[in-house]
Amino acid sequence: MTGHVSNRERGRGARVAVVAAGVVSPLGLGFEATLAALREARDCVSPVTRFPVEQCHCTTAGQVADASLADALPNHRKARRLHRVSRMTICALRELLAQAPEFRPEITVVGTTSGGMSFGEQYYRALQQPDARARRVPAWIANYPPQKPAVDALEACGLASPCQVIANACASGTNAIGHAFECIRSGRYERILTGGYDALSELVFVGFDSLQASTPDKCRPFDGRRSGLVLGEGAALLALENLASAEARGASILAEITGYGISTDNHHLTQPHPSGIGPRQAMERALTSAGLAPHEVDYVNAHGTATPFNDAAEGRAIAELLGRVPVSSTKGMMGHSLGAAGAIEGVITLLALRHGFLPANINFRAPDADLALDIVANEPRLAAPRVALSNSFGFGGTNATIVLAARAA
Amino acid sequence: MSTRLAGLGWVTPLGSTVQGVWEKLRAGEAADASSLGDSLGEKGAVAFRVPPEAVTEAARHPRLRRSSAISRFAVVAGLAALRDAGLELDAAAAARTALVFAISNGGVIYTKRFYHEIVKSGAQAASPLLFPETVFNAPASHLAAILGITGASYTLVGDGAVGILGLKMAEDLMANPELERCLVVGAEEVDWLLCDAYRHWRLLRTGPPIEPFARPARGTVLSEGAGAVLLAREGAVAIEQIHSGGNFARQRELVRQLGEIGRDCATNERTDLLIASANGTFIDQAERSVAEKCYPDAAIYTLKPALGESVAAGGIWQVICAAQALRKQELPSLLGAPPDFDLTTAENPAAAPWRRAFVTTCGLNQQVAALVLRT
Repeated sequence: MTGHVSNRERGRGARVAVVAAGVVSPLGLGFEATLAALREARDCVSPVTRFPVEQCHCTTAGQVADASLADALPNHRKARRLHRVSRMTICALRELLAQAPEFRPEITVVGTTSGGMSFGEQYYRALQQPDARARRVPAWIANYPPQKPAVDALEACGLASPCQVIANACASGTNAIGHAFECIRSGRYERILTGGYDALSELVFVGFDSLQASTPDKCRPFDGRRSGLVLGEGAALLALENLASAEARGASILAEITGYGISTDNHHLTQPHPSGIGPRQAMERALTSAGLAPHEVDYVNAHGTATPFNDAAEGRAIAELLGRVPVSSTKGMMGHSLGAAGAIEGVITLLALRHGFLPANINFRAPDADLALDIVANEPRLAAPRVALSNSFGFGGTNATIVLAARAA
Repeated sequence: MSTRLAGLGWVTPLGSTVQGVWEKLRAGEAADASSLGDSLGEKGAVAFRVPPEAVTEAARHPRLRRSSAISRFAVVAGLAALRDAGLELDAAAAARTALVFAISNGGVIYTKRFYHEIVKSGAQAASPLLFPETVFNAPASHLAAILGITGASYTLVGDGAVGILGLKMAEDLMANPELERCLVVGAEEVDWLLCDAYRHWRLLRTGPPIEPFARPARGTVLSEGAGAVLLAREGAVAIEQIHSGGNFARQRELVRQLGEIGRDCATNERTDLLIASANGTFIDQAERSVAEKCYPDAAIYTLKPALGESVAAGGIWQVICAAQALRKQELPSLLGAPPDFDLTTAENPAAAPWRRAFVTTCGLNQQVAALVLRT
């Protein structure tokens, strides 16, 4: 089987295959549900039900239904004590292992921003009550740390591997995939489990609201009158393997990861440099890493949070570097799942490459006059993308881009 | 291409110069614990704090004006490691430098303040100034900005093993020949809320001393600070091996897992030093077991009785301690061990020269990792 990756890739180190993946997001549990939602351009954002939001500007988010998680894990005896982000991660890993039961990672590299933050919130609220000592639940402490969902998922699925948990804010998931890619490409590893997870929490929700980064309106990425993001949640995991090893054992190859770029924009803790230099450097470095020219990119799954600052910086960088390449942000459909976003969007990009379509950028009304972009507006577009970028950018000025390439049928 | 330690820096409750703190440790000093209260009127807890004079250098940086203590600790330690390496980062050098930041509890002081306002007064009272500082990678962002790093910057979260996991990540990053160096920083700040959680988790004692290897385990005392190690292609001490370890679901699995790591890292060559993470909790007996079975001749030492349990910073402190012991060919005396403690210590070490040190970090939340340094 010959991949689309050009021969220039050879000599850059080992090629890296995605041999399996699993996803849980507001779009649904698993590939099939996710694909159906993407094809329908379904708006999966709904009123927040997990905590009070009456005092917030924004009152909606993309939410994973607890009932669906319970259905997916009916016999898992520890699941009830685990944080719901652990349950999401277990669901994603189970889907991945159903595709590749033999996959045994040497290391796990995942991204998150806050792990089981809501357990920390419950602990703190309990402290404010009379007779606080009796009200605090030790399981909240044990299951609060951000690395716990990865550890829980590995244990629940009978896997053992060290965990590196990257917390690079909203770029975490893409950073995790990118670092895992580089580790395999360097020849130091053969198989790595990677991805990201995050669950909605009151602290983070109110935090974005306090910054006026979230919107009371719909999330409208790249729209001329966009007014902010809505948050989301979920988990996605990808099984990365040295391509030669995967082919030698006859593994199914979903796609290749062919490049990764990371940059740090030291402009401001929460805002990108308006010139878009951070995103541009990340994309340039990813293309260099992949040995590709800008014109060879068929699609960009943008970070596209719909905040005025992010979309202006990212849009400018895309237009200047890649020209009129089709672009969409899928956050309008499912919200911004922070540390999970890069992983979920990596899987969405993979689905686009495999199934021949470009996901829709929903809630789009009118273009931003300052951004010369080819937005995949409101409806998915039939296409045969071969090479796609997936972008993620975060607080702290961290920017990450991965390059995915389709496998020939 | 070996990875070497080119520079060391730390901010600890005993001060912030490598040599100054080392001399205090050699003299058998332990930091003073102090009571933590705060403006929220919460009841007290005891922890080892960093003295304010240890981080006065941080005041020079406008970026740190509103930052939490953890960022100031990290910046001072990071800059000290660069100075120790004789390195000043210009733009070209910064472009070939990566940053890996290890963290466990993160900016807990601002996080608590931010959430307290929400609990007390509702979402409308939430501060947009505090929220960005609650994000795990805020300290790394400040340090990257001050150093001018524009490439790879990663923040890793985990438990006490995260410092060594950060070094593993740095070693993997340095497989890229275009990267000349990687600064690895571990940092923590301590707060009453953390103490309450650890106490409720039955891991904390009411105050010093920390008694490593005591049976039964009597608990630990939290502390704060930062450690920084500059990895490069040249330096007096090399990283021979980093073992990423794994996760232990139950405490009793830690003994087996650490034993496997100990066997994996043992060679025919004598291991002279074992810098443990023993802190007065359940992890101590696992480290004692690996010392007895795999490294009976290695002099065992833990910093925790002198500096407290500082989680992510503590792992980097251990590496600094091991490197300093190899560089100086001297090791502080083990403080607080039981009278009948019968393992090799600084009082009866292997004959010099010491060339090999094994560092173990066992976290309190399921992660374990180790590394070997050699001269």
